[in-house]
Amino acid sequence: MGVIVSGAPHFRRNRTTKGIMLDVLIALVPATVAGFVYFGWRAVFTVALSLVASVGTEVIWLLCRKKSLKEIVSQFDFTSCVTGLLLALTMPAFEYKYFYIPILSAVFAVGVAKMFFGGTGKNIVNPAIAGRVFAFISFQSAMVSGWMVPQFASLSGINAVSSATPLTAMLGDGLGAVGVSNLDLFLGTGVMGCIGETCKLALLVGFVYLIVRKVIKWQWPVIYVAVTGLLSCALGKSMGYFLPSILSGGLLLGAIFMATDYVTTPNTKLGNLIYFAALGVLTGIFRAVSGGEVVSYCILLMNVTVPLIDRFIIPRPFGYEKKEKVKKEAR
Amino acid sequence: MKAKDIALDGLFRQNPTLKLVLGTCPTLALTTAAMNGVGMGLAVTFVLIFSNAIISLLRNVIPSKVRIPAYILIIATFVTITRMVLNKFLPSISASLGTYLPLIVVNCIIIGRAEAFASKNPVLSSALDGLFMGLGFMFALTLMGIFREILGSGSVFGVKLWDFSIGFFVQPAGALFTYAIFIAVYSLVYSAFLRAANERKNKDGLAVKGARGNA
Repeated sequence: MGVIVSGAPHFRRNRTTKGIMLDVLIALVPATVAGFVYFGWRAVFTVALSLVASVGTEVIWLLCRKKSLKEIVSQFDFTSCVTGLLLALTMPAFEYKYFYIPILSAVFAVGVAKMFFGGTGKNIVNPAIAGRVFAFISFQSAMVSGWMVPQFASLSGINAVSSATPLTAMLGDGLGAVGVSNLDLFLGTGVMGCIGETCKLALLVGFVYLIVRKVIKWQWPVIYVAVTGLLSCALGKSMGYFLPSILSGGLLLGAIFMATDYVTTPNTKLGNLIYFAALGVLTGIFRAVSGGEVVSYCILLMNVTVPLIDRFIIPRPFGYEKKEKVKKEAR
Repeated sequence: MKAKDIALDGLFRQNPTLKLVLGTCPTLALTTAAMNGVGMGLAVTFVLIFSNAIISLLRNVIPSKVRIPAYILIIATFVTITRMVLNKFLPSISASLGTYLPLIVVNCIIIGRAEAFASKNPVLSSALDGLFMGLGFMFALTLMGIFREILGSGSVFGVKLWDFSIGFFVQPAGALFTYAIFIAVYSLVYSAFLRAANERKNKDGLAVKGARGNA
C-alpha cells in the first residue's frame, strides 16, 4: 500500500537546500567577476584555492565517516561551494607565496566550523565567517597589509591611499582621508579591499537577484546597513559619514550574504529584528573603537547569541488566541 | 591501593587534565610554549606530593568542618616555598609562569586530590598519588604546549624549526580548540583501551567494571 504516515509539515514545495545554494552562488557571480576584473589573476588564484579546499575538506570528512563516493555526490548540496566562495571574497587577492592562507582557512571553515558540529544546517556560526576570522587572527600581516591596488584607477582622478583601505583611513583620520569619491566607493574603482567587497554595484545586483528569487527578505540587510550608517553619523557628528561608512569595507557583503545565512539567524520576525539591529549597533560602535573593519567579528558574535534569542522569542502557534485576563472575583 | 594502580590512575585513567578536566585555567593560559608546561607541571607536582603527604598525616587530626581552610593553609605553605625557590634560582621560568604560580594555591587538582585521596589514604600512597597526578598534569600540559608551539610559533622548547606559523594556536581561541582536540583524542584512546581490556577479561568470563558506556 502506498500510504505514507508522517509528521507535521505536509505542505511541500520544490525548494531544496541545493536549489537555494545554487541561487546564492549565482547571486555571488557578479561580485566574483568584478573581483577578477579589478584584481586579476591573483583573485582567481585565491578563489580557486579556497573553493577546492572547501569542497575537498567536506568530501574527505565524509569519506572518513565511511560514506560511499556515490552517496556523497548524490547528497552534495553546494553549501561548501558557497562557503569557499564567500570566504575567498572576504580575503585580499593574495600574492602567490601566501597560497596556504586560503587553503588553511577553508579547511578550518568547513572542517571545524561546519563538519565538527554535524554538517550542513547544524553549524553554530557561519563557516565562511569563522574561516575569515581564523585567517585574520592567524596571518594578520598578510590579511591587513597585503592589499593590492586595483587595476582600474579611480574615476575622480584622486590617487587612492596606498597603505590603508578607505574605511581604515576614514576611521583613523576623519572624512577627508577617504581619498576617493562616493561613486568610486560604489563602483570599486581605485578602492583597495577584499576581492568581493569593493564593487558595491555587483553586490547590489546579487542582492536584487536573491530578493526576486525570494531567498532572503530585503528588510533585514537594509536594517543592518541603515543602523550602522546612522550610528556612524551620530558618532562622527556629521551626516556626511552615512554614504562612505556603508559603501566602504565589507558591510554590504556581510549584510547581504553572510548575516542572512538561514542556519545562523533567529526563527521569528521579532528575533530577526533584534538580531539585525544589534548587528548594526555593534558594527557601528566597534568600527569607531577599533579603527578597522569588524563586520566579520560582529556577525560571529551575534551568531552565537541566536540560540539565546530563539529561546526567549517563541513563535506563536497557528490559531493561538491570547487569553483574556481573568477577573480577580472569578477566582 | 596498589602503587601500580595509583600510577596508572594519575598518568592515564584519571588524568587530571584530560579525564578529570581540573586545573583548566593554567592549562589554557600556559600551554603557549612547551617549556611553560614543564615548569608549571613540575611546580604543581612538587606542591602536590608534599601537600598530599602532610594532609594524609593530619587526616585524623583536622576536624572535618574546617578541613578546607586547613588544606589551603598547608597548600599555601608549599606554594610559597616553590615561589621563593623559583624566584631565586630560576627567575626566567618564574617570570613566564607569572600569576599562575601563586594561583597554584587554589588549583582544583591539589584541593581535589586532598579531598578525594589524601584525606582517606595512608601517607605513602598519598605521596605517590601526588607524584603521579602531578606527572600526569605535566605530561598533558607539555604535549599541548608542544602542539601549540609548533603550530603557533614554529618552534619546539624555544628552538626555531621554520618561519611558518599559524597565529590562531597561540591565542586563547586556539587554547580552547587544542584542549578540545586533546580531550577527544584521549577519549578515543581510552575507550579503545577499555574495549580491549573488556574483551580480554570476557575470555575469562569476567567483565571489567565501568567498561560499557564509559567514554
